[in-house]
Amino acid sequence: MITAQDLTKRYGDRTVVTDLSFTVRSGTVTGFLGPNGAGKSTTMRMILGLDAPTRGRATVGDRSYAAHPAPLTEVGALLEARSVHPGRTAHHHLRALALTHGIPKSRVEHVLGLTGLTEAADRRVKGFSLGMGQRLGIAAALLGDPATVILDEPVNGLDPEGVLWIRNLLKSLAAEGRTVLVSSHLMSEMALTADHLVIIGRGRLLADTTVTDFVRHSGAGTVKVVTPDAADLVRHLTAPGVTVTTADAPGHLTVHGTDAEHIGRTAAAHGIPLFELTPNTASLEEAFMDLTHDAVEYPAALEGAAA
Amino acid sequence: MTTAVQPYRVTPARVLRSEWHKLRTLRSTWVNLAATGVLTLAMGIGISAAYDGTGEGGLDPVVFVLLGTQFATITLAVLGILATAGEYSTGQIRATMTAVPSRLPVLWSKAAVLAAVAFPLCLWTNLLTFPLAQAFLTDTDQAAALGDPGVLRGLVGNAAALTLLAVMALGLGAVTRSIPLAVGAYIGLVMIVPEVLTMLPYDIVDDAVRYFPSQALQSLTAAQPSPGEATPGAALLALALWTAAALAAAAASLKRRDV
Repeated sequence: MITAQDLTKRYGDRTVVTDLSFTVRSGTVTGFLGPNGAGKSTTMRMILGLDAPTRGRATVGDRSYAAHPAPLTEVGALLEARSVHPGRTAHHHLRALALTHGIPKSRVEHVLGLTGLTEAADRRVKGFSLGMGQRLGIAAALLGDPATVILDEPVNGLDPEGVLWIRNLLKSLAAEGRTVLVSSHLMSEMALTADHLVIIGRGRLLADTTVTDFVRHSGAGTVKVVTPDAADLVRHLTAPGVTVTTADAPGHLTVHGTDAEHIGRTAAAHGIPLFELTPNTASLEEAFMDLTHDAVEYPAALEGAAA
Repeated sequence: MTTAVQPYRVTPARVLRSEWHKLRTLRSTWVNLAATGVLTLAMGIGISAAYDGTGEGGLDPVVFVLLGTQFATITLAVLGILATAGEYSTGQIRATMTAVPSRLPVLWSKAAVLAAVAFPLCLWTNLLTFPLAQAFLTDTDQAAALGDPGVLRGLVGNAAALTLLAVMALGLGAVTRSIPLAVGAYIGLVMIVPEVLTMLPYDIVDDAVRYFPSQALQSLTAAQPSPGEATPGAALLALALWTAAALAAAAASLKRRDV
């Protein structure tokens, strides 16, 4: 379990993270979301003890990361920035990290296999593609067989194959019962794997919720209807809270404020034929944009700064 | 995954092994060490073979034979700087400090590993260079034997001084976190600052300058330090203090600053 309590980080007069509190519960995949520059990486660095919080505290389990006698077995981390000497081979990089904990060579071979790097193990890292570098970072994160894995923007810059690989990896980590904190600025990526969401904007907590609740409360559910008797249907649907907008093509309607079942029954009761009836649940991406849009714009307006 | 027995644990000895592994698995380390040894040896033999026997202003025989170690003051310092500042430029430091979040064992291990590599290398190079170079110097004013007073002490003292200089540079690398800045600071401290200071017309400055790193190196190398130089014992102490100061600054910086 990771707990952030009133985490605040200032660099000079720039406050990057402000009074951030959240909990990543054991055995869940938590998506850590926010636009670029929201403070995700800084928060992760504070959890790992790389940056000291200006105020507040981050703990892993019962104590700070640095206070664990074998930190790599508590938390494995893939940071966004590359954290490897390009002149060393993948094998030697992992071996050097393993030696600090007394982790055997066999475990190094094992994580190289897990990440598909066995063939490339004896090549120097400078020749690695972005995807291979990312795999090496993940191999390092899994080295101590940690109960918790932190991944900072793991899909950034990866090709579709790499993205798919990361997605499957997240699923398998979750299936193994590990706690995962994964940051992203792409909500759609999180929808596929996360149970829980921690959303921040400009260093502040915007939402700490489940994926399901987040979509439900976003209130953006609409139903697309195609019918030859549009005017007739609109008349019968009219009720408080229900709005109907006509779309580009004739007979195409978008209905807000009611569900597909009600529309279907209403149409049947009045003998109106329907060619299409499609519930359009709010995509996570839209709901996320709605939320962070305000967080990004509000301070800009306050400071009178141009975008 | 979660087991009752936890065999893995960070210990100082393990961090030491890890740092040794890191140093020896970089090609640049071996190139650097080879260059250090070869330059000292080649320079020592070269100038000795070319020496025509007319005095060079009365250079000390050990200083003369080990003129090539001037290169080692740079190459070994660069090795030290790469061990610390190099980790910041590559990003490796984030992996290192995530594995060892208490941080200081990493610094001590890097210093220990560098010293353990540099000292034997310099010592064996000196012990090899001296007799080979002396083979060309019989019947010149630079002729000396290993058994002559101060010669062995000079050869060992030079190796110790070069090692301390390299570790001092390692400390500067950890403080500056930048290879060019650390190299600049090192060259400034070792080569430029004492030259500038001796131009000041104060006796106390001259007294102080003899305890500067490169002057201390000179005193430690000479079989017979000249009257204006520090005694070998004082020079060794001075160099040890310079190195300790650089390491202390590195430790304070490492503890206080974000990675």
